[in-house]
Amino acid sequence: MGSEPAEAMTASSTNHEPRTTNAATRLLRSDSLVLLLSAILFAVLAPFTDGLASADNLANLLGNMAPLLVVAIGQTLVLIAGGIDLSVTSTIALTSVVGALSMSADQGWLGGSPIAMPAAVLIMLALGAVVGAANGLAVTRLQMPAFIVTLTSMMFLSGLAVWLTASKPVFGLPATFTVLGSRLLFALPIAAALAGFAHLMLTRSLFGRWLRAVGFNPRTARVSGVPVDAVVLAAYIASGLFAAAASVLYTARLETGSPVLGQRILLDVIGATVIGGTSLFGGRGRVVGTVFGVLFLSLLDNALNLLGLSHFSLMMVKGGVILLAAFLDTARNRWLAA
Amino acid sequence: MTTLLRLLVATLIAVAMSGCRQEGPTSAEASAAPSNDRPLTLGIAFETLQTEYWVAGYEAIKAEAAKRGFKVLEAVADGDANRQFEQVKNFITRKVDGIILVPKDAKTCIPMIRAANTAGIPIVLFNRPAAKSDTRSVAVVADNVALTQATVNYLVAEAKKSGKKHKAMVLLGDLGDINAVGRRDGFDAAIKEAGDSVEVVARIPTEWNQEKAQSGVVNALQANPDISFIFTSSDFLFPGIVSALKGAGKYHKVGEPGHVILGGFDGDATAWQMLSDGYLDATGVQDVYFEARQSVQAIEDLRAGNPLPEIILDPGFVIHQGNAKEKAAQMWGANLRKR
Repeated sequence: MGSEPAEAMTASSTNHEPRTTNAATRLLRSDSLVLLLSAILFAVLAPFTDGLASADNLANLLGNMAPLLVVAIGQTLVLIAGGIDLSVTSTIALTSVVGALSMSADQGWLGGSPIAMPAAVLIMLALGAVVGAANGLAVTRLQMPAFIVTLTSMMFLSGLAVWLTASKPVFGLPATFTVLGSRLLFALPIAAALAGFAHLMLTRSLFGRWLRAVGFNPRTARVSGVPVDAVVLAAYIASGLFAAAASVLYTARLETGSPVLGQRILLDVIGATVIGGTSLFGGRGRVVGTVFGVLFLSLLDNALNLLGLSHFSLMMVKGGVILLAAFLDTARNRWLAA
Repeated sequence: MTTLLRLLVATLIAVAMSGCRQEGPTSAEASAAPSNDRPLTLGIAFETLQTEYWVAGYEAIKAEAAKRGFKVLEAVADGDANRQFEQVKNFITRKVDGIILVPKDAKTCIPMIRAANTAGIPIVLFNRPAAKSDTRSVAVVADNVALTQATVNYLVAEAKKSGKKHKAMVLLGDLGDINAVGRRDGFDAAIKEAGDSVEVVARIPTEWNQEKAQSGVVNALQANPDISFIFTSSDFLFPGIVSALKGAGKYHKVGEPGHVILGGFDGDATAWQMLSDGYLDATGVQDVYFEARQSVQAIEDLRAGNPLPEIILDPGFVIHQGNAKEKAAQMWGANLRKR
């Protein structure tokens, strides 16, 4: 996994170490580690947890994963480019209310029109791209730290979403839209197609290589002729687009445009991405890893919930797991650098 | 890598086997044993536990369910409607026998109710009703209009005792919340009946926000220093009111000269403290225990196929300086404070 420079460095640093360390390092660096952990988690909990292994629940699990996966893939791209996008949750909320305000039969300006649904989805995606572009321009042109840019845009967009709706959720969405979220048959292929597209882009395209090069070392990338600013900008636009696509799924599932939609999922998004092996330091990450990270976190949520664990213990377990993943990322980074 | 693959395969086989073991007894049990042989399970899904009221409600429902022999599954969505939807679906997967839900708002809960309806699981909304839709649910809510009116009637009677004309301030909740609208209507109805003994000079829109409430009260007291009658649509805004009154030198006990007549709604721990310290005239108490009892009862009734109205009203009660001792045991805020 990871970029070529990273691969080369590990090879040279681990060649002289004992075999056990080598295997352990390989396991630690492998995408399959998280898949393995998910399988162990499932195997251990299934006998004690009523309904965990039932077909209904597995369908639920996939349904829960789909929108989270979409927004996490966008985050993966930005993290690989060495940035971070904290505004995704507010992008979800804003696109949710703007989309709903466009197509709602009760109060939408397109309400009742046959093109309401496709038009609203396009508006949502376009808005997501605009938000991403604004973040990206602030980071590249104004040289502002991604953390503060996206943190403040999170506040701004969240406020805007509440202001647009006077903090009231928007109802009356067309059935052609809500079906996207309520039927696994629609939600899952959408998420899978987006994941497949991002995976191919990352592994097979020049852009994918540029993205990793920029995240790994922007100065070297620039010297090598990579259009660094354009690549970073594109990563933020992609993040905005993916957040908007996730918003389509979330909004459709709740049949409601809500100004507080997704407000609490930021840690899940970044957590799933980092658990999936994407580095917080940039340059390293894979879509497959993010898929496994989302699977792991969703499974944890689902199983602990089915076990009837209290809200507070669930939060502590999840926080602990994400912290552990971030620690592994830091450790991995140090070993690779050593 | 091969070791890893082997491990993975072994785990998957173990999973598959545990899956089979899991399915076996469950389906056998379901077909062989009638449902009343196993304890009934109740799923309780709360949107938040951020204020005392919700914590008190949560505890009261759990206690009531345990008393009636239900096994309880709990879930708190931490303000996230999508997470709540996932939690409700988890309950359905667990084949719970009933769901008690505190939704984020009147609308996002509709797909949840629909999912429960489809699965044939009775669902009761605690304290917040759903918007009109094609779904079926029962909501247990406080009679906001009547209880507020009764509370304000008491305050007006106190005001009339003084023989002078009072200038009043009212703190309104988020008017997108049906509970807040009911309380405003109850207040307005009582004031209309009061004739000219009470004149409302300030209406503060708080949107259920403590900071907004406090600055609104400070401004209103500056504009109308002779305000002598304050009603808040929720007790949780009292800390801001008290601090503003103290700042203006107007915080005095009932019966002391310069006392500002104070009333509220909810019956929380702060209100109980102010009542027992002698500063608060009255508050309308939502009877959390009644609501919890009715919610669990409604689940049992729905299971038995008994007809129920869509809304079950909690009449609540007014607690005031005259009946504080005898009503304290029924006031959830007083019980919280004791603990």
